[in-house]
Amino acid sequence: MSKTITIDPVTRIEGHAKITLQLDDRGEVSEAYFHVTQFRGFEKFCVGRPFYEMPYLMERICGICPVSHLLASAKACDALLAMKVPKPAGKLRRILNLAQLIQSHALSFFYLSAPDFILGMDADPKERNLFGLMHKNPELGRGGIRLRQFGQRIIETLAGKRIHPAWVVPGGVNEPLTVEKRDKLLQQIPEAIQIAQKALAWFKVEFEKFREEIRMFANFPSLFLGLVTVDDRAGYYEGKLRFTDSLGNIVADKLEAADYPQYLGEAVEPFTFMKFPYYKPLGYPDGIYRVGPLARLNLVDNCGTPLAQQEWVEFRALERNAVNSSFHYHYARLIEILFALEHIQEYLLDPIITESHARYSASLNNLEGVGCCEAPRGTLIHHYRVDEQGLITWANLIIATGHNNLAMNRGILQVAKHFVHSEKLSEGMLNRVEAVIRAFDPCLSCSTHADGQMPLKIRLVSSEGKQIDEICREP
Amino acid sequence: MNRALVLACGNDLRGDDGAALQVAKCLRNGLCEPDTCICAEQQWTPEMAEPISKAEVVIFLDASASLSPGEIACRQLQPEAGGTTFTHETSPEGLLSLAKELYGVHPERAFLITVGGAAFDLGKGLSKPVRQAIPHAIERVKALLSGVTLPPS
Repeated sequence: MSKTITIDPVTRIEGHAKITLQLDDRGEVSEAYFHVTQFRGFEKFCVGRPFYEMPYLMERICGICPVSHLLASAKACDALLAMKVPKPAGKLRRILNLAQLIQSHALSFFYLSAPDFILGMDADPKERNLFGLMHKNPELGRGGIRLRQFGQRIIETLAGKRIHPAWVVPGGVNEPLTVEKRDKLLQQIPEAIQIAQKALAWFKVEFEKFREEIRMFANFPSLFLGLVTVDDRAGYYEGKLRFTDSLGNIVADKLEAADYPQYLGEAVEPFTFMKFPYYKPLGYPDGIYRVGPLARLNLVDNCGTPLAQQEWVEFRALERNAVNSSFHYHYARLIEILFALEHIQEYLLDPIITESHARYSASLNNLEGVGCCEAPRGTLIHHYRVDEQGLITWANLIIATGHNNLAMNRGILQVAKHFVHSEKLSEGMLNRVEAVIRAFDPCLSCSTHADGQMPLKIRLVSSEGKQIDEICREP
Repeated sequence: MNRALVLACGNDLRGDDGAALQVAKCLRNGLCEPDTCICAEQQWTPEMAEPISKAEVVIFLDASASLSPGEIACRQLQPEAGGTTFTHETSPEGLLSLAKELYGVHPERAFLITVGGAAFDLGKGLSKPVRQAIPHAIERVKALLSGVTLPPS
């Protein structure tokens, strides 16, 4: 008799989702589905709006990574204007992108996932949360808070506000950086670097306790996708797209983001509103690939900043070729925080950064534009078409979490097959199924106003609809 | 270091949910002492624990769907570890607890002032009863900042 387990909602992720596990007659997991249950329609309701409104409409998609949408959208608008931005503006945009990566990664690692590392996957969820973490390891908690604050402070200093800023505009940014503000930010970087290094040192010891999770958390061969710069470094704001495989081979390189329809397909499934992008030459679903911190560190042969480079060498030594376990997204996130801090420091020390020329202006020159950057969770593509008056006629967005959809579904299946065997459900079992999703740090609702404390319920139901077992997590 | 901290929370695109933000705006416009730091955000987040730990008095401001429109409630707060597994919502008591846990101190005096709202639908602007309540909420904040105490509840 087949049975179904539903995990609804999945907690400590950004947004709303549920997981269904299908058990076969022997009580073994046969299928797993990750359902994203929201429909938001941003691609539709922007139709008819002037293109120059798009950065400010599109950043409202998300309260955690609005800067990514702001930048990808502004780059798509730059393409509509057929223009490059002034050099200081380009560097300021890069700093903004890296600052967001710091605050978003700090949220994911310290607030959402570290409770699992500190308190254990099997701990009581009443303890296994942010408060439990702060109680058990206050130094780590203070460090996480400080890193998130610093990322947010950079965004606020440059762009005026931490969430949904309007500072990035088609053609550049609307205000240069003053020397005084630059110096204030520079003063705070050494402390932030020290915190990131301490967290890395701690985690490199700690993750040894999670050998089974490392082995089973979405640990399979796949392609990896991300932006790479001309000097072969991960390109968070600029570059061309590269696919590599799990052996470290370059599968496709120097791909223009604007040509994505040639190599990226988007499949749909009836159980979720989130699309399934895939690498077209391999078809669906064999064209599975991963994006984000793990992918970015797998794509290149050089991290690019001195301290992060040392960490990257250790990271890549985890496996002979590419690092395949998605558990190591967490590790990669910490290395990227360190990289971002060092790279921001480099940009701020460049005298050009405080030059006053921060924006070019132009008229509409193209009727189609694509903007691409690396969001904290991976490659983000905005694609717009406009009419002669500059009104949007069509838009397509491929968000980072979408790229990882196939991998997340396959990862849930792998974890569930390993950890879920009997008809009796346990909290640790549930948490591991959720934790594999958390490793990808999906941003599903892209919204900050989800309900607060949510109950979590897993039900084991027979194919006849009879409830076999149930566990509840009270709000 | 700021002696006093006012943390307003709300969404001014959700009608009366923006009540606390309006109070904060008025306070910023010279209606309170310069040693008071006023923050207006859409959420209370764990990052606020650090400035909370450094203040002598903290006042949390929020809108309420359970009070009558325009009604103002005020209560003193004590640290209380929240059992939340979610980071979108951190309670004032939880933030006081975080301040104590992480930085070893919490403000001697902490209060929550809430303003009852009439409408929380999408849209800008406050309802009439909430608009009329704003000056009274400001007076409550000023009184608490000046050292007025609340009767035990």
